[in-house]
Amino acid sequence: MKHPESCIQCGTCVTVCPVEMVGGHAIVTFLADPDATDYSAWLCTSCWRCQEACPAEVDIYELMMEQRRQEAAPAGYQAAFESVLACGLALEIPQDELDQVRAQWGLEPVRIAPAEVVRLVLGQEKASRDE
Amino acid sequence: MEFDLAFYPGCLILQRMPEYEAAARAVLRELGIELEIVQEAACCGAPVAESFTTDWVYLAAYNLALVERMGHDTVVTLCGSCTNALTRAALALRDPAMHAEANRRLEAQGLSVTGQVEVKHLVRLLAEREEALRTRIVRPLSLRVALTNPCQVFRPGEVMGFDDAMEPQSMRRLVELTGAEVLEYGGENECCGATLYLADRQLSLAAGRRKLEATHGADLLLHGCGNCHLLLRHFQHAIVRDEPGLRQRALVLPQILGLAMGLPADELGLREGAWE
Repeated sequence: MKHPESCIQCGTCVTVCPVEMVGGHAIVTFLADPDATDYSAWLCTSCWRCQEACPAEVDIYELMMEQRRQEAAPAGYQAAFESVLACGLALEIPQDELDQVRAQWGLEPVRIAPAEVVRLVLGQEKASRDE
Repeated sequence: MEFDLAFYPGCLILQRMPEYEAAARAVLRELGIELEIVQEAACCGAPVAESFTTDWVYLAAYNLALVERMGHDTVVTLCGSCTNALTRAALALRDPAMHAEANRRLEAQGLSVTGQVEVKHLVRLLAEREEALRTRIVRPLSLRVALTNPCQVFRPGEVMGFDDAMEPQSMRRLVELTGAEVLEYGGENECCGATLYLADRQLSLAAGRRKLEATHGADLLLHGCGNCHLLLRHFQHAIVRDEPGLRQRALVLPQILGLAMGLPADELGLREGAWE
């Protein structure tokens, strides 16, 4: 990954990052130290605190997303994406279960997007698993 | 006066938290607002699809197009992730090339999108009705509440445009309407760590543990996001294991508001008498 030119390596992003607070190393580790190798673009909670706190206004989130798109995804992310392509949602819920739960709670019935529409809109027509 | 708003539920609410939707509907009904659910909605797009393709924006645009077809100009959300993704997508659609491409993809579905829909999380919707809410509190609660502000509802500040981005106050103000005391534990603006679960389960649970330790002494945890509630309520057993001292009860914002408004517990997904 190319270290962003506007980054001043002040480390503010590291101090506010919830991943760093529990001992993980997110992309902010790399921002604070361009020589760092022990970090992952996938370790992020999308809390946006680093981006908000950055005095140099680095678009940390987009930098991280660009990096992710060039890497193999962790299994959890891969499964969630495949679920989106196969059933429209990151968490799969069969229609009959959904109907049952909603009826139990007195909530109006709801249908999920047809999976083929989701794949078309995402431009992923060929990348889906078998249904 | 009664009016309708579109409601985008998102996967966590649909799959795991019908009580969050039920409680939100019950509270809003008291304020004269009915939610009309978006039919055939898909995943909001971020961060899952966003991590794989820049085309995630078109998936979010599809959801916004459904709202526009319903004739609504506002869509209500309960989860931080959906709020953030749909808001960022609406902003991205201001780019003419992206807007044209979104409509090209949606045309085959008989849809079109302007991107003018306002995405409004429950906290924001309620914060705009603070005075109306205040008059409806009939049963003040004496509870100590440890809240976690839903990160993605407030940040990035220049996109979300609501409250203070790093130290938001609107959720605290809503809780204080109920008479409950909001515990200052220092972690109100720290992310729960739930969304880390997809990449690293242990780190996610460690973040959840940090939250449970910091909120020791509270009567309950309070959430305004499906992600926080997923980790700290549904996955709490995996964090606590054999340390029952860490255990905390957890509610979502409309449940506590509903209780203070005197709404029946079962409408809020709570057991009758559990909060006397």
